Amino acid sequence: MSSQSVVFKPEISKPLLQEVMDRSGQNVLACYQCRRCAAGCPVGDETGVTPDRLIRMILLGEKNEAFNNLLVWKCVACYTCGTRCPNNIQTARINEILKQMSKEAHIEPLNPKVAAFHNAFLTSASHFGRVNELEFMSLYEIQNTRSELKRGGGWRAIVDKIKDRAKLGISMMKKKRLHFKLDKIKGLSEIKRLYAKAREKSVDR
Amino acid sequence: MEIAYYPGCSLHASSELYDIQSRMVFRRMGVELKEIEDWNCCGATSAGKTDDFLAIALPARNLGIADASGLAEIVIPCSSCYSRMIVSQKKLADDPGLKNTINAELIKKAEGKIKISSILEVLVSKANSGEIAEKSIKNLEGIKPACYYGCLLTRFPCDVEIPDSVENPQGMEIVCKIIGAQPIDWSYKTDCCGASAVINDTDTSLLLMSRILHDAVARGANCFVTTCPMCQLNMDAYQEQVGEKYGIQKRLPVYFITELLGIAMGFSPNEMQLDRHFIDPFGLLTELKLI
Ligand code: SF4
Ligand code: SF4
Repeated sequence: MSSQSVVFKPEISKPLLQEVMDRSGQNVLACYQCRRCAAGCPVGDETGVTPDRLIRMILLGEKNEAFNNLLVWKCVACYTCGTRCPNNIQTARINEILKQMSKEAHIEPLNPKVAAFHNAFLTSASHFGRVNELEFMSLYEIQNTRSELKRGGGWRAIVDKIKDRAKLGISMMKKKRLHFKLDKIKGLSEIKRLYAKAREKSVDR
Repeated sequence: MEIAYYPGCSLHASSELYDIQSRMVFRRMGVELKEIEDWNCCGATSAGKTDDFLAIALPARNLGIADASGLAEIVIPCSSCYSRMIVSQKKLADDPGLKNTINAELIKKAEGKIKISSILEVLVSKANSGEIAEKSIKNLEGIKPACYYGCLLTRFPCDVEIPDSVENPQGMEIVCKIIGAQPIDWSYKTDCCGASAVINDTDTSLLLMSRILHDAVARGANCFVTTCPMCQLNMDAYQEQVGEKYGIQKRLPVYFITELLGIAMGFSPNEMQLDRHFIDPFGLLTELKLI
């Protein structure tokens, strides 16, 4: 650990802190750095940053660090940290909000696949009202390949990945765990209205 | 007796066998699962992670349909759907403004009447009432399952009362013991398998699964039992890869709780579509002369 002293400047910290607290509904200020969250976080070893560290970044207004760390992008939303936190702080919710904020700020996500995955899922759910795993996985792969190419990733890597995915697809098919029928619901217009409302809400922001 | 039923997308697709088994096992106990009409996708983790409005609104439509069914209870086998529906019902109750906004778009309004139960909750009550024992014709002695709950059955992103211990739940153990199985004690029962991370962050997910498999094997389990279709699919479809990568030799079949109950009640592997497993589910059952 370095002995660098911590600098706290309220005028820098406040906007970030306030936005994260408002949007996540989590009382970040209550954190007293006991690290119970850190002890239970299953990805903590890999990410280096544990929930308590992330909260400290937010308190100090370290915006770049708060957006660009592996915890935000590798959090598996297992809710262990929040269940164990004596102050009821759900870091999973904070991670979700930070992902949304970084998207709004057009910051390149550390793991673009996570964003592509959730986009593809929600798009698929909006088409028929139910998710068809095949349609959704194809949407996801298309988005992925596109962003891979945009970032200058080589064809080789893409081809390898598609091969990998095809292998899984084939074994899923052998086990009859793939489903080709599209389930379309009658109340699709209600779903479309809810999606439209959701878009309105995000424009309001 | 009738209970409302929400299968969700998984049980209509990759985990269709779980849907079939749930209906069979409940019917045997005199319970008809009444699938709610024209349900939609609950949004799962994706809405939860990326769109706060849809995360509440998508389940709300299903809750409205369920409320209109007039039934008192709805059972939701998929842990993710279960979690999203519980959270939505709670948020709607806490925020009347949001509830009005969402209900304005819905034909059947969410009123918050229906009691949302996990499949385990219903099964535990059937275990305690003696109904499971009454319908069981085989004793599953020798089956030593690691009862695997995963994340979403006991932990929620907001305050929710659950009928079991958060850190060391016992519901699945209760059900397993009633049919003669001998669940082992272990440390990873509520740990995360990575769920969708297996697709978008594979290495992380394989690491998480390796810890789960490792502990279950070390504790002497001879199978997993779970109620969550994501946990089942992940631990089943990726176990080979996990074992290879992390040097774990043993493979454990990953049963849905309905499969152990089905065996005890005398259903055949064929009826339950056990051939849709990745890790061989037959060997252990044959060895113990259960099939
Ligand atoms: S458990 Fe809660 S209070 Fe303790 S360090 Fe983590 S977030 Fe802060
Ligand atoms: S919810 Fe995310 S941050 Fe919290 S313990 Fe789980 S993986 Fe770690």
